[in-house]
Amino acid sequence: MGTVIGVTLKGIEAVPIDIEVEITGGLFVIAVVGLPDAAVKEARERVRAALRANGVLLRGRIALNLAPADLPKVGSLLDLPMAVGMAVESGAAAVDAPSLFLGELAMDGRLRATKGAVPAALLARKMNVPLFLPPENAREVSLVKGVRAFAVPDLGALLAHLRGETPLSPLEEAGVETVDPPAEPDLSDIKGQSGAKRALEIAAAGHHNLLLVGSPGSGKTMLARALRGILPPLTDEERLETLLVRSTLGMRTRNDRTRPYRVVHHTASTIALCGGGASLRPGEISLAHRGVLFLDEFAEFHRDLLEALRQPLEDGSITVSRASGSVTYPARVLLVCACNPCPCGYWGDPLEPCRCPAHVLERYRNRISGPILDRIDLHVSVPRLTPEELVCLEGQHGPSSGEIRDRVSMARQIQQERWKKEGFLSNAEIPERLVRTGIRLAGDVRPFLAQAARSMRLSGRGISRVLKVARTVADLRGNPDVRVEDVCEALAYRGGALANDRT
Amino acid sequence: MDHLETGRLGESLAERYFRGKGWVIVGRNIRVRGGELDLVALDSDELVVVEVRTRSIGKILPAEETVGPRKLRILVRSGKIYVEQCRWTGPWRIDLLGINLDIDGSPRMVHLPDITAGRIDA
Repeated sequence: MGTVIGVTLKGIEAVPIDIEVEITGGLFVIAVVGLPDAAVKEARERVRAALRANGVLLRGRIALNLAPADLPKVGSLLDLPMAVGMAVESGAAAVDAPSLFLGELAMDGRLRATKGAVPAALLARKMNVPLFLPPENAREVSLVKGVRAFAVPDLGALLAHLRGETPLSPLEEAGVETVDPPAEPDLSDIKGQSGAKRALEIAAAGHHNLLLVGSPGSGKTMLARALRGILPPLTDEERLETLLVRSTLGMRTRNDRTRPYRVVHHTASTIALCGGGASLRPGEISLAHRGVLFLDEFAEFHRDLLEALRQPLEDGSITVSRASGSVTYPARVLLVCACNPCPCGYWGDPLEPCRCPAHVLERYRNRISGPILDRIDLHVSVPRLTPEELVCLEGQHGPSSGEIRDRVSMARQIQQERWKKEGFLSNAEIPERLVRTGIRLAGDVRPFLAQAARSMRLSGRGISRVLKVARTVADLRGNPDVRVEDVCEALAYRGGALANDRT
Repeated sequence: MDHLETGRLGESLAERYFRGKGWVIVGRNIRVRGGELDLVALDSDELVVVEVRTRSIGKILPAEETVGPRKLRILVRSGKIYVEQCRWTGPWRIDLLGINLDIDGSPRMVHLPDITAGRIDA
């Protein structure tokens, strides 16, 4: 590998690109080889102007090779290494030790923000080389520990640094603030719905998927929004993972521990949700990694889109394969779905009669397939409150979001401690093998569960999902072993709201 | 003064102009297959092929705007042939010098260095 190194993105991974430059006599021309895309080819103009603005005049025939030659290079993040390579070859600067360069150049030599700074930082750490990057990307990179990075305001400053005239100072590592996530609305502001609130608490504690079913105006969306305020803070490892996904899209990053919360409208396409497209980018499910993916009006989504969620919900990652290659994005989400029980919305409502004919109801229910429902651990009915309850002006309705978040964080810590050896962070993500061996059951649980599985006709996956939820319930209660009462509560959230209504 | 005289006057003015800049004049009106190079000079260690355009007063377009893509292609081709003939291996470029003559005959010069700017594949 040479000394001037750039990067290109492959999924959420940065691949090192060796920049080789040769300048020979002839009419001035810059020829770029090594599968550059349009943005990389156009870099010629930016690089030439930026170098000229900083007093480096290019002449002769300049051949630029981006190695490895068979890997397609994408985006404007190769501008800076190309400029440095040419400056070095024409004698305007020297790079003694291998270094990573990243950034898009303006015509006057300033550096513009690019995507992929965090993957590049991880690569620089792995290769143990310094990283030079645009100042606007400095913040996200300062959140990565152990990287020797320099924020470069413009090309002139970088060349001066490389010549040893005015050295740049390396970036300081930034601390992470633990900011309380916004509790909008606060759970104590929501009237009634104690069952749904408890389900939210369990979902937040164990990262379990949740389905809210209720009539129009019963508060499904409000409850789902309130989940945001009770999510436990991200751990360092989780924060880096979320940072990585955002950085590959060039999105702004926060330096706190708030979990992602992504709301997807039902007109979304499969590519928008799962990732892909011509240039392979992560979708909403990857942006929601380690956080919440909220699908409101669940039954209105295209069926193939919902089916596409099956595999990532199970594996916690999604592999997108296209002609241009296949990449894997992380996708460990807490899926929250909300829908009406039927098209008119009032099936099972105590006040309003349902006006749906049987076949319409049947078609509506068919949109949501069994396999998807089987992957959702907590099914909750959100009934409408009676007029008397709604009009009542009483202030507090159960514990506040802050109190619940403390309980949730406590339960999450117990889980992280328990699965540390295996490398898992929550009960929802543990594999089948660990469910059988890692979850300690009290003596009378096994026969009870067998009985319940028979009468509720639970699948194998159903049983292990019930056990995972029961483990979370026990963690919230502080029980070291899972007891019958924990399993009972877990079973209560199973297959209630939509599936059983069919019979 | 007809247009041929104007052209010759312009080339003389150009030669004086570049000498003043410290360039070494290599040749004037060099004929190669398929074209002619108005002026060839050395700007330190870079060979420069200069296209000189001279226009007297009253023309709509200023002199430096009269070189189009077709002329540029011819210049590149002729330049390559010349560079090859004299076995020059260093870098070279094509400059444009526009000379606009005022009513009293005083010249106004516009020098555009490196008009191909890497945009023509060589």
